[in-house]
Amino acid sequence: MDVAEERIASAPLPTTRTLRLRSNIPFQLWRFAVINLRMLRMIRKGH
Amino acid sequence: MARVVILGAGISGHTAALYLRRLLGKEHEVLVVSPNSKWNWIPSNIWVGVGRMSAKAVTFPLAPVYRRKGITFEQAKAVAVRPEGDEADGRPTVEVVYTSAERQGQTARITYDYLVNATGPKLNFAATSGLGPDGNSLSVCTPGHAEQAAGALNEVIARLRAGQPQRLVIGVGHGACTCEGAAFEYTFNVEHELRSRGLRELADVVYLTNEYELGDFGVGGMSFKQQGFITSSQTWTESLFRERGVRAILRAHVERIEPGKLFYETLDGEHDALEFDFAMLLPPFRGADLKAYDRSGQDITDRLFAPNGFLRVDADYSQRPFEEWRAEDWPKTYQSPSYANVFGVGIAFAPPHPISRPRTSPNGTVISPAPPRTGMPSGIMGRQVAHSIADMIKGKATTPTHLASMAHMGAACIASAGAGLRDGTAAAMTMYPVVPDYVRYPVHGRSLKDTYGEVGLAAHWVKHLLHFLFIYKAKARPGWSLLPE
Repeated sequence: MDVAEERIASAPLPTTRTLRLRSNIPFQLWRFAVINLRMLRMIRKGH
Repeated sequence: MARVVILGAGISGHTAALYLRRLLGKEHEVLVVSPNSKWNWIPSNIWVGVGRMSAKAVTFPLAPVYRRKGITFEQAKAVAVRPEGDEADGRPTVEVVYTSAERQGQTARITYDYLVNATGPKLNFAATSGLGPDGNSLSVCTPGHAEQAAGALNEVIARLRAGQPQRLVIGVGHGACTCEGAAFEYTFNVEHELRSRGLRELADVVYLTNEYELGDFGVGGMSFKQQGFITSSQTWTESLFRERGVRAILRAHVERIEPGKLFYETLDGEHDALEFDFAMLLPPFRGADLKAYDRSGQDITDRLFAPNGFLRVDADYSQRPFEEWRAEDWPKTYQSPSYANVFGVGIAFAPPHPISRPRTSPNGTVISPAPPRTGMPSGIMGRQVAHSIADMIKGKATTPTHLASMAHMGAACIASAGAGLRDGTAAAMTMYPVVPDYVRYPVHGRSLKDTYGEVGLAAHWVKHLLHFLFIYKAKARPGWSLLPE
């Protein structure tokens, strides 16, 4: 097993709850707002 | 009256042209030279490459937009720059060869007062034997390439449906490639397509890269603050690979590609081979093939351009070891040190050095990513250079007034990991600054407050929204300048 395979095999796996939240529509609507706010902050700093 | 000539109509050149037209009065001319008749929102090409979008959905014709905005458009390829003119006429000129159907092959000389080189990359498929759609692998660099990749993917899907195991290799086709992010996106989009069709079991999806570790993305990786821990983009990316069952071959330089088989060297100097049924491997980039001549006709290409064909600008190009690289080495104004009226933006400017640590195999092969300078940074450079040129034309200044150093600029990157309004996924990442600055941020090189990543459906929505917003902006629809780059 090479370095990459070893590291991937021991990488942290998301829990079932995390996976569910990643596609949970109400939660993702909230994350959509958060990502956009973070991007706006980045735009303000970078422009 | 001044004429500003912009070579290239990609993200950087097109942005510069629109801003220059907005900032300069009608007595001044803004002229764009581009070999392509269409503008392409390149980040969405990956969706064309899996058949989720058509080539038409990611492009639009440039001529009507430029006609509406009062920008002159020449569908041609620049081949030479004469920054001092020639002995008969001292005005600076660009030599072009027309690529439109009506004027195919005709040549012309276009004079300029200011020149913006935004030619983007030359897709250097020739760097690796057998690389590219004319060889034995596929690409998603252009809409046409991406459509071809989608067609090949459909054939793979048909074979999987017939019960034949398939190996799909996706990544970079040379040790000095950039754009690992795009290869990553395409890998996970393909994986998503196979999984959503219930065909994942028979498919071996392999990501092949020149990165030293996963999550490097050509920016030396990132550190994120998450749930009370500081984690690395490496751990974060490896987690996604484990979750989705994608294999990875790291630290690889593809040497040649034969039908169904590729040969590569790894950083430890070993040589190996890998058979495949489908291979999408991105090419390395080099600058457009532009020559430069002085007034007497002497070739001064080496003075204007770095050996890789990218335009030298106000960066510190002195050769130093990785430990001595500084954020301040990176250019701020993008002005040529040789000619004050020449600028280089986007991929066309020569970076002072990579961002990721450079590495070489015992055989002397460079196997490490070249620095990315696409997307948001490209657009910002185009806009800032447009402001500087407009101020210089208006007599407000004699030197560039606007700065856009990648060491003082953040970037937002949404890496798609599967398309779908309800089942899509993407990784949303922001980083500040793009080029790590270990003076301002001694431990991680970047602000932990502004460097951040998360995976989920919301990030896919953001990427989809950006697709429409940036095409709207590029079409110069009402309010376009209010949308950030």
